[in-house]
Amino acid sequence: MSSPTPMWWWAQVTTTRTREAAKTCCAAAYGSDIAALLLGDSYHPGGLSLTRRLATQLGLPRDAHVLDVASGPGATAMMLAGEFGLRVAGLDLSAANVALAQGRADAQGQADRVSFAVGDAELLPYPDAAFDAVVIECALCTFPNKPAAAAETARVLRNGGRLGLTDVLGDADRLPAELTTLAAHIACIAGARPMHTYADLVDAAGLRTTRTERHDAALARMIDQIEARLELVRLTARAQAEALGLDLDRAKQALAAARAAVADGVIGYGLLVADKP
Amino acid sequence: MSVEQRTGNPSMTKRERDEVFVEYTKSICPLCKVVVDAQVNIRDGRVYLRKRCRDHGEFEALVYGDAQMYLDSARFNKPGTIPLTFQTEVRDGCPSDCGLCPEHKQHACLGIIEVNTNCNLDCPVCFADSGHHPDGYAITVGQCAAMLDAFVASEGEAEVVMFSGGEPTIHKHILTFVDLAQARPIRSVTLNTNGIRLASDTAFVMALGERNRPGRTVNVYLQFDGFDERTHREIRGRDLRAIKERALDNCAAAGLTVTLVAAVERGLNDHEVGAVVEYGLAHPAVRGVAFQPVTHSGRHLQFDPLTRLTNSDVIHQLAEQRPGWFEPGDFFPVPCCFPTCRSVTYLLSEGTPGEPGFGVVPIPRLLDVEDYLDYVSNRVVPDDAIREALEKLWSASAFMGTDTTTTRLDTATKRLTVAAEALECADACGVNLPEAIADLNDRAFMIVIQDFQDPYTLNVKQLMKCCVEEITPDGRLIPFCAYNSVGYREQVREQMSGVPVTDVVPNARPLQPVLVDSPYGSKNARSDLGNGHVPADQTNVGKRVR
Repeated sequence: MSSPTPMWWWAQVTTTRTREAAKTCCAAAYGSDIAALLLGDSYHPGGLSLTRRLATQLGLPRDAHVLDVASGPGATAMMLAGEFGLRVAGLDLSAANVALAQGRADAQGQADRVSFAVGDAELLPYPDAAFDAVVIECALCTFPNKPAAAAETARVLRNGGRLGLTDVLGDADRLPAELTTLAAHIACIAGARPMHTYADLVDAAGLRTTRTERHDAALARMIDQIEARLELVRLTARAQAEALGLDLDRAKQALAAARAAVADGVIGYGLLVADKP
Repeated sequence: MSVEQRTGNPSMTKRERDEVFVEYTKSICPLCKVVVDAQVNIRDGRVYLRKRCRDHGEFEALVYGDAQMYLDSARFNKPGTIPLTFQTEVRDGCPSDCGLCPEHKQHACLGIIEVNTNCNLDCPVCFADSGHHPDGYAITVGQCAAMLDAFVASEGEAEVVMFSGGEPTIHKHILTFVDLAQARPIRSVTLNTNGIRLASDTAFVMALGERNRPGRTVNVYLQFDGFDERTHREIRGRDLRAIKERALDNCAAAGLTVTLVAAVERGLNDHEVGAVVEYGLAHPAVRGVAFQPVTHSGRHLQFDPLTRLTNSDVIHQLAEQRPGWFEPGDFFPVPCCFPTCRSVTYLLSEGTPGEPGFGVVPIPRLLDVEDYLDYVSNRVVPDDAIREALEKLWSASAFMGTDTTTTRLDTATKRLTVAAEALECADACGVNLPEAIADLNDRAFMIVIQDFQDPYTLNVKQLMKCCVEEITPDGRLIPFCAYNSVGYREQVREQMSGVPVTDVVPNARPLQPVLVDSPYGSKNARSDLGNGHVPADQTNVGKRVR
């Protein structure tokens, strides 16, 4: 749950290993060149412009205190501090990501506003009502226990605080055949939910959803980006990649199916804002 | 209740305008070159500039074929850099004070020195109106040195100087000019040529190759319009296909990097843009292509200003002709000049087009260019080194074969993998991609699309931020499109040759009844219409309402 979702997705769809073996490889893939290259530095659909839109909708005054759950290499946290003047705590399951993000915050002179810690979204290491806002970008779909993560989010928000969420949307019943078969292996798509399910999830945790938006084009663009990176692997390191069990043809087919699913509205990307009453 | 019902008289019904008004600016009358007010409107998804001259009536031209792209480009606009010196004063206002005047918004990314008016071709299309003329001019070694000094005085350390003409390779001192540039703090020399001498004179090509060295590179900007014989005959007046090929092979042998430069006219060779890129990717000397919609300044074929080719049209054509390679979103506006003037993308490629294993990846799909080059929304960028690299790559001073462009490409692609190096289990899945990409970087390929303004499309807003300047023998730096459209070219030619030169008027369809031939193949307005060299400003009439 530490990294942007599609890393799971890519690592899983492109290998021909068994599910358990793939899981192990995937964990390693978080830190590997190849996954970082394919997914870029701090990629999530919509990039910084969607993060900016999300931050604007949080409507926070300067110096408000924000938690960024699954903060990855820290690009979002740095932007929230630099552009919006917020104080940001970033939490990530990967010690490597935390070290990288903290190093960047130090280098950019943001260490007084931004700090990063290792921790689990389902067991947040913060006291009750510690934050004015919580941001979760492209991560909730990968959390095994989503109600627990939602409940923890609600707990650390102060009364009147706000959750800003973006995530992959998916309707399991409408997935095309190629993606249904793969869904069991693809954490991202298997874990994705329709917008109303995310709304129900956060509402059940005691929050109140006030706004939802669809940003499917952002997911389509991300598929193009992943495909470009896959092409780069094919051009530069095909033999090594295939020796590692990468099936380039299968990956291409999966990307094509995903692109079609976005066009049909079966999968997409959503933005949700919820308040703690 | 509808308006008709209220008035009861359909003839009195108010109507909607058929266009969206988006800008008010200044331009010139294409006939008399007087400065006039102008407006920019969006109609049917396209962008038009319209203006009215008190004496010659209304003129309208297409300036951008895709209105959405035009509007989206606005945020790719970088704050300008102030040059070290200005050569003129503000007196009459833009575009009458060139230049550069202190109101100019940007320094010179690229300086152009036209070394002569003579050419070994008489192309039907030539914005410089060059050819086999007995009454042209060629600059002296002393003049060239003074022009380079003016450039350096303005820039301090200059990125690129381009020698152009005329045909610069037929100037007897061209190699001396290259040496003069290399003896100054100018990082790179680009030679803008038709390739005829490069094809036949291998000693000359080798002499250029010897001058191409780290820190002081020399590269070639080769006219290359397409592959159909008709393309060559209509644009160049001769079938130059074999000559172009020999020129390229000679450049490859001498280690010179070449950018192919295609003048593109709608309905003539716009179907060949994809093929030109493909050819360039396959040739060892070629590292980039620049597409320039034919500039309707100087000499050109008759054209319709309302259906002329624009940057977005070329981008859409490329995406349509090579759908597996490009989509329109791969191209980004260049923020150092006005963003509607120039768009650029870079490709990483491997192999030869048409052969197995070939592939291209546009660099903008590997990193979010807008996160770095959108100067309106972004106040914090994720990585300053990437922004610095992308600024140099998305610039009018970026040329393949220059040190600056090479190192910045290296930075941009290396940074793609920097996160991976920092992570703890870097070898767990064990593919060393940074290394592989470094190899690929040697085949990075640049595509530029640049629409120069003409007397029809001229928009002072764009001119004021132009970063491509013509260096004149009297030491001015004049924005390229002002030089070609407003009357400065005619002024300089007259001063240098001592022969009177009348103002050139576009060979536009609506102007046909008032056009006459100029001595150089371009068009002038009939003398009874009258025009002067220094454009008077019709926009500031100096009157009060009462």
